[in-house]
Amino acid sequence: MPKKKTAALGVALAAVATSATVPALADAKLEIPFVRHTLDNGMTVILHEDHTLPLVTVNIAYKVGSRFERQKRTGFAHLFEHLMFMGTKRVPTKMFDAWMEAEGGWNNAWTSEDRTTYYDVAPAHALPLLLWMEADRLSTLGTDMTLAKLDAQRDVVRNERRQTSENEPYGKVELRLPELMYPEGHPYHHPVIGSHADLEAGTVDDVKGFFSDWYTPENASLVIAGDFDASATKATIAQYFGGIPKKTPPAAPPASDPRIGRVVRETLEDAVELSKLVIGWHSPKHFGAGDAELDLLAEVLTNGKASRLYKTLVYDKKLAQEVTAMQHSGDLSSQFVIEALARPGVSLDALEAAIDAELAKLLKEGVTDQELRRAQNQYETAFVLRLQSLHERASMLNAYQTALGDPGYVEEDLNRYRRVSGPGLLAQAKSTLDFGSRVILRVVPKPEKAEPAGKDPLGGRK
Amino acid sequence: MKRAPLPTRRRHFGFAALALALTACSAAPPEAETPKTPTTAAPSATMAKAPPAPASPLDTRPALSTAKDFAPPPPEVWKTEQGITVWLVARKTLPIVSATWMVPVGSSADPPELPGLAHITADLLDEGAGSRGALQISTDLMDLGASFGISTRADGTSLSLVVLKKNFGEAFGIVADVLARPKLDGTEWKRLQDLWKNRLAKRGDDPEAVASLVATAAIYGPGTAYGHPTEGQTQASKKVNLAAVKDFYASHFGPEGLVLVVAGDITRADVDALLKKGFDGWKGGKAKSKLTPAPTSFAPASPLPRAILVDREDAPQAVVLVAKPGVTGSDPRLPLLQLVNTALGGSFTSRLNQNLREDHGWTYGARSAFSERRGQGLFSARAAVETSVTGPALGEMLKELDLMAKKGLSADELGKVRAQDRGDLVQTYEAVEDASERLAYLAMAGRSPTWDVEASRARQAATLAQLNALAAEYVDPKGGVIVVVGPKEDVLPALQKAGITDVAMWTEEGEPAK
Repeated sequence: MPKKKTAALGVALAAVATSATVPALADAKLEIPFVRHTLDNGMTVILHEDHTLPLVTVNIAYKVGSRFERQKRTGFAHLFEHLMFMGTKRVPTKMFDAWMEAEGGWNNAWTSEDRTTYYDVAPAHALPLLLWMEADRLSTLGTDMTLAKLDAQRDVVRNERRQTSENEPYGKVELRLPELMYPEGHPYHHPVIGSHADLEAGTVDDVKGFFSDWYTPENASLVIAGDFDASATKATIAQYFGGIPKKTPPAAPPASDPRIGRVVRETLEDAVELSKLVIGWHSPKHFGAGDAELDLLAEVLTNGKASRLYKTLVYDKKLAQEVTAMQHSGDLSSQFVIEALARPGVSLDALEAAIDAELAKLLKEGVTDQELRRAQNQYETAFVLRLQSLHERASMLNAYQTALGDPGYVEEDLNRYRRVSGPGLLAQAKSTLDFGSRVILRVVPKPEKAEPAGKDPLGGRK
Repeated sequence: MKRAPLPTRRRHFGFAALALALTACSAAPPEAETPKTPTTAAPSATMAKAPPAPASPLDTRPALSTAKDFAPPPPEVWKTEQGITVWLVARKTLPIVSATWMVPVGSSADPPELPGLAHITADLLDEGAGSRGALQISTDLMDLGASFGISTRADGTSLSLVVLKKNFGEAFGIVADVLARPKLDGTEWKRLQDLWKNRLAKRGDDPEAVASLVATAAIYGPGTAYGHPTEGQTQASKKVNLAAVKDFYASHFGPEGLVLVVAGDITRADVDALLKKGFDGWKGGKAKSKLTPAPTSFAPASPLPRAILVDREDAPQAVVLVAKPGVTGSDPRLPLLQLVNTALGGSFTSRLNQNLREDHGWTYGARSAFSERRGQGLFSARAAVETSVTGPALGEMLKELDLMAKKGLSADELGKVRAQDRGDLVQTYEAVEDASERLAYLAMAGRSPTWDVEASRARQAATLAQLNALAAEYVDPKGGVIVVVGPKEDVLPALQKAGITDVAMWTEEGEPAK
């Protein structure tokens, strides 16, 4: 490995050891050094130099996701993400991937309700190619779109839906839960992947309109991280991205009040062996007051054998096979979701009652100092681990930039967890875990088809 | 941790993980392709009056320099008096240390009548050890901010720890207890066995897992050392008892053969001190004489049909897989076979993915791989395809394998896969937990700690003639077995229409259906 210059890694962390039985959070200082500037056309550019490995990554986030989609076009933001790889006149179809791989690089992208992010990882020498191809598709993807390109990725995305949701055990939950959690017309009402009918309905004009609205420099944030020369790279960025015209994106679709105010129940059938219970509540938005408290509550409830729900349901009473809790954070609002798999012969009623009893106990007593610090320590380690990877650091800079306008938020992000107090966590849990206002979704094994005896000489699935 | 906002990925496989072997570069990267002619071409004579369109800086594809040479530094290696081998990657970049203890005993050491014994023995290790009970092991490790896990594969069992440097010593001590002084307690065993049976019962829900398990059983032969599922089988799990677990532990776990991989901000002296404190006096009973040799030949299911179908009623997709025997993990031909595989199904632009996904839209992704085992490995190609196109998709998959076997790679492809190989090596050892996992995997497959660097050197030197000869032998679909997990009602007629009539029905447990 090349010998690194002092502080060349670009990540500083000074930890002070403690030796209590449950060590208190150390005075760790997390930092991802960066410089930021804005192009005349409004595009944000963030550079993070690190010469440890001969590697670069380019990470571009666009402030668009499934909550920005029009009516009858669910799944479009994600379908569009696929289309961004379908080529232009300068970079013909298939060449975006082919030219990148020919230099030893790779790429991927993801779409959420709030955001679409593209990233390329490659040997350092390939940086000009990555920047050129990213600028090219941001400037001409829309004008160069064709029905053939759209149709090709429409089929791929429909197969993605089949593979990751429809043919995946319990995968239908993520399709149905948002529809039950948010009212019709709310931007979070539909799943990111969209419906088959809406995916089928999209036109080339839809693609061009979506591109023109949302894929503008002002709506983008570009992070370059790794082994590069900052001044040369700034010049390249200005040359490639600077000429793309300024255009202000439209306002995001408005969001109605999503509060449920009652218990919404539904039962799905799936090709599964064990029944599942899913309970969802509305919760504070990402980075909002209470968001970190709920992340830590999820840890206290289900991470580790001694966590509240695991110990009661799985370890002691043997009602559940697995249990998880998670705060799914979003820009508008979040969902706090508990999922549990019932053991054979255990009714979902019994499982639900046991979960409620354990939650009621927590809401009465609060959490112990030890539980809180244990959860905080898990977060501290996770933050430091993420700092190792160049790609992760670029992702964090861009996530903080797009959500908060502050790429340097990593230390403050960890501080959100450090600052949580026992009473604060309890207050948030009481506010969120309202037994009278939640969605309860059940998944049960679908009944087996009756098969006449002797009709099936080859045997098969039970 | 739990922060991901429900992303839907464009791809379902990580290429760095797939390519499994990475490295340094000595050869120059391939020539950059010629830039395409600018599309805003110069105005023609008939447009002479109009001013020339200003050329965009985007009209010219940038010229690139060549990639820098890179190889991860070799681990420091030593053996303790007790017989524990240590591989150390010292790195001071962040105050983190990762450790993986690799015991070279996995499911291939299961007695034939007790499949899953190695898996469930490993699972019981951290349910009470030393002075701690199951709950206290969990809470003490979590209080330290540590992540800890145990996993069993065919060739070995790994205990993996990653934690901040300040807490490494304490966490190391807990893991030492787990490995050397497990309680193997009866109450915990009963509890764990129930969870195990349920896990096995629900395994059949997952069509991808079923396809892998069935292909493995078919090629190696049901009930053989490599042919049974690592996690065991539902019926047989009822026969496993605590006495068998205790005997398995006593027979197989000990310092002899143990490889400890450590990566991060730590010195050799620190590691030696921790080993002395944690493992001094550990002898490991009968372990020395019980290291099971890895299987070096195949005993496929008899008769091995052309195709195996596992029925999955009404499924919207069928998982289609073609498998055949590969080579051992330490075979010098394996790095070159992996280079062939990168072109065939090991990256996004590989032939299988381009054909089945990008050209036909039949799947979210198609891929292939050569597995890395201490004994004989497998080659497999797979895709989850829309049920209605099972026949054509299988046809294209077989066609691509056949084409690669007959004609081999092109010169352009060779340039690409070499570049991919060099790029992968830069990234695989980036995070300490990835470095220790990968090195432990090398140890498990019976390789040296510098295998990846040497393998890459061999790939960079490989000629088309060498690669194409290997492709002809190892990816030819003839002699391979086809596995489909999908609705019989649709798949069986599709196979028959494709001329595949020798079809056997198997169960999700990897056995011929009765």
